[in-house]
Amino acid sequence: MGNTTGFLDHLRVTGTYRPVRSRLKDYKEFTNQLDQNMLKIQGSRCMDCGIPYCHAMGCPLGNLIPEWNDSVYNGNWREALIRLESTNNLPEITGRICPAPCEASCTLSINDAPVTLKQIELAIIEYGFNQGWISASPPEVETGKKVAVIGSGPAGLAAAQQLRRFGHSVTVYEKSEKAGGILRYGIPDFKLEKWVIDRRLNQMYDEGVQFETNVNIGKDISARYLKKNFDAILITMGAGEPRNLDIEGRKLNGVHFAMEYLIESNKLISGEIAASQQKINAKGKNILVIGGGDTGSDCVGTANRQGASQVYQFEIMPKPLEWKESWNPNWPYWPLILRTSSSHEEGCKRDWSVQTSRFIGKNGKIEEVEFVRVKWEQTKENGVPKPVEIPGSKFSLKIDLVFLATGFLHIEHNKFLEDLELKLDQRGNVMLDENFSTSSPGVFVAGDSATGASLVVRAISHGRKAAEAINQQLKSL
Amino acid sequence: MQSISDQLNCRKRLRETGLYDPAFEHDSCGVGFVVNVNGEHSHQIVTDGITVLKNLAHRGAIGGDSRTGDGAGILVSIPHKFFQKECNKNSIALPQEGSYGVLMLFLSREENRQTQAKKLINSVILSEGGKILGYRDVPVFPECLGDMARQSMPYICQAIISFGSTSGNKLEHKLYIVRKCIERQARIHQFTIDDLYIPSCSSKTVVYKGMFVAPQLEEFYPDLNDPDFESCFSLVHQRYSTNTFPSWPLAQPFRYMAHNGEINTLRGNINKMTAREKNIHSKLFGDDTEKLLPVVEKNLSDSGIFDNVFELLCMGGRSAEHSMMMMVPETFGQRYHISEDKRSFFEFHAAIMEPWDGPAAIAFTDGIRIGATLDRNGLRPARYVITQNGKVVLASETGVLDIAPEDIQSKGRLAPGKMLIIDTEKKRVLFDNEIKASVSRQKPYRRWLEKNRIELKGLFGIPGPVDINDSNHHLRLLNVFGYTLEEISVVIKSMAENAQEPVLSMGNDAALAVLSDRPQLLYNYFKQLFAQVTNPPIDPYRENLVMSLMSFIGREKNLLDETPEHCHQIKLTHPVLSNDDIIKLRNIDTEGYRCCTLGLLFDISVGEKGLETALIELCKTAENKINEGYSLLILSDRGVDKTKAPIPALLATSTINHYLTKAKIRHLTGLIIETGEVRDVHHFATLIGYGASAVNPYMAFEILFDLKKKCKLDMRIETAVEHYITAVKKGLLKVMSKMGISTIRSYRGAQIFEAVGLNEQFINKYFPGTSSRIGGIGIQEIAHEVIERHSDAFAKNENELKVIDSGGNFHFRRNSEKHLYTAEAIALIHRAVREKNYSLYKEYAQHINNTSKNLCTLRGLFKFRKRESIPLEEIEPAESIVKRFVSSAMSFGSISKEAHETIAIAMNRLGAMSNSGEGGEDEERYNPLSNGDLKKSMIKQVASGRFGVTCNYLVNSAELQIKMAQGAKPGEGGQLAGLKVDETIARVRLSTPGVTLISPPPHHDIYSIEDLAQLIFDLKNANRDARVSVKLVAEAGVGTIAAGVAKGKADMVLISGHDGGTGNSPISSIKYAGIPWEIGLAETQQTLVLNNLRDRIRIQTDGQMRTGRDIVIASLLGAEEFGFGTASLVSLGCVMMRKCHLNTCPVGVATQDKKLRRKFCGKPEHLINFMMFVAQDVREIMAQLGFRNMDEMTGRVDILDVNSAIDHWKTKGLDFSRILTKPAVSPDTPLRCTGKQEHDFSMSIDNELIRKLIVSMDNKEKTTISMPIRNCNRTVGTALSSEISRRYGSNSLPHDSIRCKFKGSAGQSFGAFLAKGITFELEGDANDYLGKGLSGGKIIVFPDKKSHFRSHENIITGNVNLFGATGGSVFINGMAGERFAVRNSGATAVVEGVGDHGCEYMTGGVVVVLGRTGVNFAAGMSGGFVFVFDKDQLFDTKCNLEMVDIEPVTEKKDITLLKSLIKQHIKYTKSSHALYLLENWQETLPLFVKIMPIEYRSALARMKQFESKETEEITITEEVFR
Repeated sequence: MGNTTGFLDHLRVTGTYRPVRSRLKDYKEFTNQLDQNMLKIQGSRCMDCGIPYCHAMGCPLGNLIPEWNDSVYNGNWREALIRLESTNNLPEITGRICPAPCEASCTLSINDAPVTLKQIELAIIEYGFNQGWISASPPEVETGKKVAVIGSGPAGLAAAQQLRRFGHSVTVYEKSEKAGGILRYGIPDFKLEKWVIDRRLNQMYDEGVQFETNVNIGKDISARYLKKNFDAILITMGAGEPRNLDIEGRKLNGVHFAMEYLIESNKLISGEIAASQQKINAKGKNILVIGGGDTGSDCVGTANRQGASQVYQFEIMPKPLEWKESWNPNWPYWPLILRTSSSHEEGCKRDWSVQTSRFIGKNGKIEEVEFVRVKWEQTKENGVPKPVEIPGSKFSLKIDLVFLATGFLHIEHNKFLEDLELKLDQRGNVMLDENFSTSSPGVFVAGDSATGASLVVRAISHGRKAAEAINQQLKSL
Repeated sequence: MQSISDQLNCRKRLRETGLYDPAFEHDSCGVGFVVNVNGEHSHQIVTDGITVLKNLAHRGAIGGDSRTGDGAGILVSIPHKFFQKECNKNSIALPQEGSYGVLMLFLSREENRQTQAKKLINSVILSEGGKILGYRDVPVFPECLGDMARQSMPYICQAIISFGSTSGNKLEHKLYIVRKCIERQARIHQFTIDDLYIPSCSSKTVVYKGMFVAPQLEEFYPDLNDPDFESCFSLVHQRYSTNTFPSWPLAQPFRYMAHNGEINTLRGNINKMTAREKNIHSKLFGDDTEKLLPVVEKNLSDSGIFDNVFELLCMGGRSAEHSMMMMVPETFGQRYHISEDKRSFFEFHAAIMEPWDGPAAIAFTDGIRIGATLDRNGLRPARYVITQNGKVVLASETGVLDIAPEDIQSKGRLAPGKMLIIDTEKKRVLFDNEIKASVSRQKPYRRWLEKNRIELKGLFGIPGPVDINDSNHHLRLLNVFGYTLEEISVVIKSMAENAQEPVLSMGNDAALAVLSDRPQLLYNYFKQLFAQVTNPPIDPYRENLVMSLMSFIGREKNLLDETPEHCHQIKLTHPVLSNDDIIKLRNIDTEGYRCCTLGLLFDISVGEKGLETALIELCKTAENKINEGYSLLILSDRGVDKTKAPIPALLATSTINHYLTKAKIRHLTGLIIETGEVRDVHHFATLIGYGASAVNPYMAFEILFDLKKKCKLDMRIETAVEHYITAVKKGLLKVMSKMGISTIRSYRGAQIFEAVGLNEQFINKYFPGTSSRIGGIGIQEIAHEVIERHSDAFAKNENELKVIDSGGNFHFRRNSEKHLYTAEAIALIHRAVREKNYSLYKEYAQHINNTSKNLCTLRGLFKFRKRESIPLEEIEPAESIVKRFVSSAMSFGSISKEAHETIAIAMNRLGAMSNSGEGGEDEERYNPLSNGDLKKSMIKQVASGRFGVTCNYLVNSAELQIKMAQGAKPGEGGQLAGLKVDETIARVRLSTPGVTLISPPPHHDIYSIEDLAQLIFDLKNANRDARVSVKLVAEAGVGTIAAGVAKGKADMVLISGHDGGTGNSPISSIKYAGIPWEIGLAETQQTLVLNNLRDRIRIQTDGQMRTGRDIVIASLLGAEEFGFGTASLVSLGCVMMRKCHLNTCPVGVATQDKKLRRKFCGKPEHLINFMMFVAQDVREIMAQLGFRNMDEMTGRVDILDVNSAIDHWKTKGLDFSRILTKPAVSPDTPLRCTGKQEHDFSMSIDNELIRKLIVSMDNKEKTTISMPIRNCNRTVGTALSSEISRRYGSNSLPHDSIRCKFKGSAGQSFGAFLAKGITFELEGDANDYLGKGLSGGKIIVFPDKKSHFRSHENIITGNVNLFGATGGSVFINGMAGERFAVRNSGATAVVEGVGDHGCEYMTGGVVVVLGRTGVNFAAGMSGGFVFVFDKDQLFDTKCNLEMVDIEPVTEKKDITLLKSLIKQHIKYTKSSHALYLLENWQETLPLFVKIMPIEYRSALARMKQFESKETEEITITEEVFR
């Protein structure tokens, strides 16, 4: 560690955002990155802890955070990159969209402000790309083993790259036109521009990963075919089954799952579909987003960019703790505090403990939504809190479009899964053992398909570990 | 009660199945002699010898049966008159004086065996041409003995032998051969040392010895009381051993000498002797030479073996003094002012024999001459008196024989490395200069050296750059040799940058090598041994002038001869070779010198077997090469490729070293290791410790070059390499010094290590003589680890190679080394204690105890046997269990005030105890707070630095803990940098802000086990209500040391694990010294139980204690009390930053930074919750195990079992049976402490003093009393002082309130911790430790008014006076011994001369020396100042100038002070010398010099500056000094 008192001498500084007015005009990213000298100072705040909680507990990937902090502080960017790439296949993604549990568990989060780990991560990988240091790293020896990866989201990409580097022949199947899965179709450009994904995919092409897009497994290719032609199959299809809100009026026009909306918007921006094909447009409308999570937030940001006249985001859970301090009240765990995303800053009315009771429409189209306020009470049976309506708290709003961002249940239970006769767990995820193996021999699973919807960084981590497990098994074949 | 023989058998069994090993035993003692210079025989001399012995009795110890001594004996010249009488009685025709030999015999008491033995003896003597004139049963009186001694008593008889008319040296030679032959035959015929032992066999001397305490000697041997039993000298010895096996043969004196000391390098010395046997030839013995082999007898103690070799050298033709100078050479480094001839003598002999290193006072005799010598460090006292009428008395203490003051011609002490001989033939006393001048000039050693020694030109010049030709190969090698990023950046780089080993903080909680999932280097299985209690470690920084890394390598010649060719060897100034050096050695081209390289590689295609085969081949090749005449072998692992993996260098070194030793050709070659494996200090130390002559770490150099290339090193590469080498050199000195070893010559091959996790077969084959007690892996697993690293390295592609493994050994990394504390565990326990949530604690405990995932410790492999459970309500309550818990010692200074006080409050609320650590304690904390809380630490530590250890500190405690070692850095001292010493710390430690504080490695009042007993006695006097405990660190043999501690009357012994915490320690010490407490605790319990010592001493243990399970295991293994260090801190918010040494703790726990301290958020409740949780956890396990209280559970090792369910490839070979052995003692033998130590204050005169003075003390009246005193009256004044402190605190009586006048020889610790208000006046002389810890009192010493000698040229007080004094004054009219005013932090002293190392580590106070000083004056002195009367103006050559400047005394203030002190001195002591100085002030003043510590001067200046500023309301804050 270069500077033992860095954290005492310097304050935490992060990149600023473009002003709201400017950023609403386009779908481009809007964070201004710090220059290298500033980053060096930020890197010096790292204390090189005896137990680095960021690495040990925070980051699911176990990123070697103290090591690259030190390298950045000492100006050894190349070495920072080597350490970074050794644990993370997609740092340019996590550097942009990860909620950074590492920062929440940074030791400085106990009573100070955490090191700006996320922006350092992004800076390292971007500098690496700029310098041309990131090149294909194809295996030196081919093992002759073949692996099919189903789904090209973060888990699939990470696993595919790792498996390829182990020397296996890897084919990634993707049902959409382009690879990337939720990264490409679920996350708006203003958080993750799509060239970022393409750049990484190019490296993977060069390393010899084969991509088959527009292939719907189970329909276009049978499970039997895959099992016959591959030594291993890895399912990384995400947790695409959204949680529904089955109340009166759900079938009305204008009530959509959030993902329908986001996917269409993303395709529109990338030109995959033409403007004429757009079905859901928020322009000039009153928008209701149900669900207070990140997906909801993405809907808010997209709707505002489309020119919505008013955006509401309601959440049935109570309002979390408002927390203005720079430190983490729940260190080293993730704090449950009120978070205001950049999208919220762009204009949105938020409310909590609000239950949507029914959608009211005319001519099959939504016009109004009725709500009731709830309070959360402990149940006597099992102690799990339950919402109880507050009498007389009913209210309603004029609404033109509703997006259900109430979470995801599990992997889509499609024909492919049926054909493979995979065992599922109670929640409906694919059941796996400690070797990432499913109930069907040779078939593995990783990412949200196995864990249920979670963070991108967890998916990458899961994908890497699955690749390791598959490699072990293939070696023993 | 079990019978004694049962006990003995049980011991023998335990030796086979338990952890006890007699090889661990230590002894040291009182030694002395009385001689008539004129060689006149008299019985008085014998009686005098016995008197001396009796007066040294307190230096011995008594065993478990309270009557068996550890051994005593007497060596006298043959009492011819007595034998004449006795032989007449037995009708033996005794030849004339000098023509017969007396063979003293210890034989088996079994008659059959006796007859066989005698038969054997007869036949040997006959075949050697001698004749037995008769046997004489030596009359004995066994009734006086203790049970154990009597049970093991041999049958004792004497045989009178003659070889016709042969006499003189010829007869001695014959007798020598006879004895050696008997010994050899005896071993062949299965006689053990207990069945047949020859205490002496000589025509000049005879030895009477046995398992006695001093007074039993003359009672047991009525011979000694016979008036005809006359001798011209008597040499006596009283043994204090940690000994557990009663052994008559091991009592001293041996045949030629008596030894107070320890040979630390014994293993290496024995091996080297064995190797040399092959070319031992003696002209004197001719063909008989072979009969003298083996030189070393089996099963002897270190002293006994020393005696064997000393005998060989003397018999081989060298004089006794010459032999002694070879074996115990004094230091001859350039920093000593000695004659060039003498220097050459020692250097020449360095090429022949290595020193037998260790603290030693040796009294020796060849029958005609009797003498004594001291080791180079002078770590054992030896005082002598020469009388007017031709008697010389030398002993460990002065005052052991009453001599009229007017009869004294001179008084002195042996200085370090010096010798004294009395020649009874020449009737003269020979002093050191005369002896050594004649010996060192008997041959032209200087010329011989100049002509023959080889100093390769350019060797050790500035090393040139190293090139890496193939960077991929370099990276691959990094993998093959297991380098980690951490090692490169934390270890190697930092060694290059700072020229010293890096430091780190907190304990080692990583997995033991044998439990680690990651391939380990072989070095990691070896743990450094260290000195504790039985001998002192050395300070390798401040006292490095006594240490040396110089050695000769090459071909040794016949030991019994000396020729110029003997030194025709290569001289290495240190053992670290640069790449250039290796090249030069390879191309060496000097007559008689040839060098060849052997490959340290094996073929991996053969698999794990390949390693074993390669080693066998390697040994044979080495043997052949030596036989072909190669005198240098380079073992090199250069040339690793895809098929060839490196043989672990340590394995190869030890294997070859032992192979060559066994073949007796090891001494014919130098063994140079060229390896990529070594990088840290421990690696070098192990290689050298197992026999390497020199080491070249080529990969470390390559790494430095690579770092330089990548611009990560801001220095020239040459400097980097040089620094790196310097760091290794310093580190080696440190590793040697912690065992008390001074020279690399004797360290080499001394095997000062123990193994943890290597199996017996492997150890016996490759590392014979190394202790390894829990089994473990073998050659196959080691090969596996090498191959795994190797194949991993060659499987990686270019990109993967670049990602060097993180390491995770010091700082946690996922997928790297396992650690006991994980992020999750810390998070859980923080929440648990803050929310007072027991179920979270349980989660935490489960996390820590989850051994399937996180196997780090030995106890992780244990499980409890099933027993009937009992309801929880019936178990001892948690409130009671928690009282057995303590917070481990952490000094205020290493942790913040807030943390320190919170711990104290919490522990006091629990009714448990907190430990002050070694930094003193603010007296403010002694008073309760308004809410009833108490910030006082109930345990007060007494550590080597003695910071703030005043009488009042000692009084305010419930326990006094003597810290002998610390788990994180046993055998080492510490240093608190000046910038961290703020005003508060300075106040508490009684020093000056901004001045560096050094804790020396040894306690300067504990150089031996009897010294420890003395300190325990001191502390008991200082506070009779407090219990005294001794803190040890687990290592092989800690049990026997604990036995010594128990005999020394400590109330509790603390066995710390190797993994204990620290605020600042060198990395290699944290990682590689000491062993887990599980082993140490078990060994301690077994040894104490067996020796009937367990019932009088409690055992505490600590080291990474985390959960109730840990406590229960410790309890079952025998501990009664348990310490929590790190865990206490963690419950108060510590997050294991490991930044204590940097002062940047971000949670305010281990920092003095005010900003950071504000962030401390720990509350007493948190710690209380933690302790209560653990206690509750303990209860739950107790319920499950069916124990109602802790007492029932203590020592029930039978409840522990090995958890065979844990499946780990390396743990399969572990064998815990030795740990889990319960000593087979009768069921009523206590397994825990049930009684108390009986302290013997019978010789103490303080009770009388208190009785006489109590009224005036209470009334604050002035009083004077007078009393006689003698050396058995020890620690006088301490109990008296404690009474004063109890009454008045540190704000004591006015000066001179109580005056006590003594006359005689004062015992040790005269006036220790003397409180203000008391004045001691001593007419006579004093022993060691006068004024120890002086706390404001006044001590005046002057010679008896009737004596004639010149005071300033004679020693009148012993060594280590004023050690740790904090205030008061001392006036000594005479010279003091070594280490005067060491660690003085406030006392004023006037003395007329001092020995070596005066005023070392002094931090305050004023000392005036009116005469000569020894060398190394003011080493490590950071505060206070000294005036020295430098008559010869040579003082600057004796002063250690590292931290001080020498100035003339010109300032008026100084002159006034000096003058007034001298005036006081005259007033108190009537010193004529002082009077002379003052009367000639004009002439004498200019010769005075003032010694001023550099840091102190600037600190004073700074304070002065701030004093003036303070009026402007700027306070002194610690930031001032940052």
